[in-house]
Amino acid sequence: MEDYGGSDDEYCYYDDDQEEPMDGIENEDSDVLGSARKDSTTKVITKESLFDAQREDLRRVMELLSLREHHARTLLIYYRWDVEKLLSVLVEKGKAYLYSNAGVMVDDNLSSNIRRCSSSSVSCEICMEDVPADNATRMDCGHCFCNDCWTGHFIVKINEGQSRRIRCMAHKCHAICDEAVVRNLVSKRHPDLAEKFERFLLESYIEDNKMVKWCPSAPHCGNAIRVEEDEVCEVQCSCGLQFCFSCLSSTHSPCSCLMWELWIKKCRDESETVNWITVHTKPCPKCHKPVEKNGGCNLVACVCGQAFCWLCGGATGRDHTWSSIAGHSCGRYKEDAEKKTERAKRDLYRYMHYHNRYKAHTDSFKLENNLEETIKGRVTISEQRESALRDFSWVINGLNRLFRSRRVLSYSYPFAFYMFGDELFDEEMTKEEREIKQNLFEDQQQQLEANVEKLSKVLEEPFDQYSDDKIMEMRMQVINLSVVTDNLCNKMYECIENDLLGSLQRGTHNIAPYKSKGIEKASELSTCWSNKASDASNYLPSDDISSGGTTILKRDRPSGSGSSSNDNINECSLSKRTRKEVSGFFDLNMPAEVIDRN
Amino acid sequence: MIDFARVQKELQECTRDIEASGIKVSPKSDSLARLTGTIPGPIGTPYEGGSFQIDISLPDGYPFEPPKMKFVTKVWHPNISSQSGAICLDILKDQWSPALTLKTALLSVQALLSSPEPDDPQDAVVAQQYLKEYQTFVGTARYWTETFAKASSLGVEEKVQKLVEMGFPEALVRSTLDAVGGDENLALERLCS
Repeated sequence: MEDYGGSDDEYCYYDDDQEEPMDGIENEDSDVLGSARKDSTTKVITKESLFDAQREDLRRVMELLSLREHHARTLLIYYRWDVEKLLSVLVEKGKAYLYSNAGVMVDDNLSSNIRRCSSSSVSCEICMEDVPADNATRMDCGHCFCNDCWTGHFIVKINEGQSRRIRCMAHKCHAICDEAVVRNLVSKRHPDLAEKFERFLLESYIEDNKMVKWCPSAPHCGNAIRVEEDEVCEVQCSCGLQFCFSCLSSTHSPCSCLMWELWIKKCRDESETVNWITVHTKPCPKCHKPVEKNGGCNLVACVCGQAFCWLCGGATGRDHTWSSIAGHSCGRYKEDAEKKTERAKRDLYRYMHYHNRYKAHTDSFKLENNLEETIKGRVTISEQRESALRDFSWVINGLNRLFRSRRVLSYSYPFAFYMFGDELFDEEMTKEEREIKQNLFEDQQQQLEANVEKLSKVLEEPFDQYSDDKIMEMRMQVINLSVVTDNLCNKMYECIENDLLGSLQRGTHNIAPYKSKGIEKASELSTCWSNKASDASNYLPSDDISSGGTTILKRDRPSGSGSSSNDNINECSLSKRTRKEVSGFFDLNMPAEVIDRN
Repeated sequence: MIDFARVQKELQECTRDIEASGIKVSPKSDSLARLTGTIPGPIGTPYEGGSFQIDISLPDGYPFEPPKMKFVTKVWHPNISSQSGAICLDILKDQWSPALTLKTALLSVQALLSSPEPDDPQDAVVAQQYLKEYQTFVGTARYWTETFAKASSLGVEEKVQKLVEMGFPEALVRSTLDAVGGDENLALERLCS
């Protein structure tokens, strides 16, 4: 949570500023947007809210099939928390199939409280001893073994990392053991293992669920992110890390995940250097070092003293004329070698073209991050001046627009490298088609590039030294350019989605959609601790078992339930702050239509 | 910790119906964690008439973890390594259930001898042969049974005497024979190395 510091606090500061009566319009708008933000479907799941996050799914399944929690959980784990999938199996194949596949045995005659075996003593098949009946447990599937053996079995399975699906001990029985029994028996002998079991069960919601993924931050922030509809998107965790939800690498839209993976590999590889060496040098026949020809005739001398023919690479004597070397002839034309060299040369230049531009924009992006500090300083100075102008949110809006479009621009180069290269889509387009599409795309790219550079230039102006009139002029420019670049980004994505990637026949490349407002910031699940504690105790199986259930929650919060009221305050103030931040962030990302009204 | 009380009971149980099943399990030393199982080759298979020794070692978690088993007697079978004797059988891996016993596991191994599963092979060479040249496979399997699984049916004293005559000290011969499970050829190999 402390990760909220840094620049985000700054946003808060500006947000506070805007709450002054000076600019009623923007404030109003920020409220509207703020409430829209609450509907944001991407959620941060913290250690604390993990239980709440899965409660909804559990409840749905429990209510629909009138199941107890552990059965619902077993079903959901088996169907990877895909409630829709689970329901479609139910409709198509029926309840019995659904249950038996997942290892759920619902025996209506078996009350959950009467788990003891019927007769007074039981012969346990595992340890081959007779044990008193109250020392044995019957599972939902009807198999009854002694508690010691059950415990031994559970411990082995938990240690093997199979907590999520511990099967009954009977041979060929696929029933999954009741988690309450596991919890209860294991905690008697190994409380720490029982906790581990609990955590595994809870984390199934992240590990086995394609809509939820751990935040890839390193060191790990402990959070997971849940998306609602589309897995192809880019998100920002509450720790500040922005990443591609599909491939968990850094954000890269409009490159597809595959393009990005290839690009990163290519940039890291030395293969291009090797390419250059093959094109521009020949190995010395004596010392085998690569030699570059820096002019002159075809007799080349290596630093080691060996002379050789540049055309064929063979060692020669030093006696030569401009056109021939004494005692050496290699006039035969080798077409193959020539073609290969030509091709390597072309590929290298092509790569260099795209890489240079990609790199230039990435570098600008870094430099512009420094600009952020400078601009904030200027805003502070300007605000303190005796002037009618008090609102400088437009500078920050412009700066954010610049960051966003700069990012799009820089990733548009590796995109183009693969889109119009022959590595991925060689068979998708004819040469002519490719040329037309490339022109279309490059036109848009060039326009975007020009406007981004203009915006960058305007934003660098030292407005804190300007007169009011000049500031108003700059304001207009920034707002106009922001609108233009935003539109251009939109158009470029439209072009990519409709004309380029949309028309592919083979294979699909999905890209995270362009968002005017920037990468979606995942919001915290809106729950307070006090709620959760009561809900959790309602929810976790009752009696002796609930003690096991609450330990994990206590463990997560070092202060424990004793000081929960205190926690509550913290939590609430935190979420308030988060909301404020969110609205602040939103405000700064004022979309075109709002700016239009100014 | 191994449940030795259970192992003890399993051994008694096994001895009780050795007549019916033909399956023998005996401890290698005092510890009960290392055992030797013996199964007769199933009738009507190339393994008929052979007696196969299986090395059993019990992991700490037994019976909650499966026993480790491998053939000591060399055997030609798609699901058993002709080199190491490793067995490819689901109940010795993820399908193990604590309700199974050494005897039932050995019965499963015996059943595996009668019904190979060449689609899930442990020994690719054998599996290929089984699928493509079934007759050759049967021949090889029978030959291996004759050579390796029947040699050990000779009396131990006979083997000891034979090896002692070759010039090895008797004590060493006995311990070596014991270590390789009574296989005369393996013992010789080891004595010579």
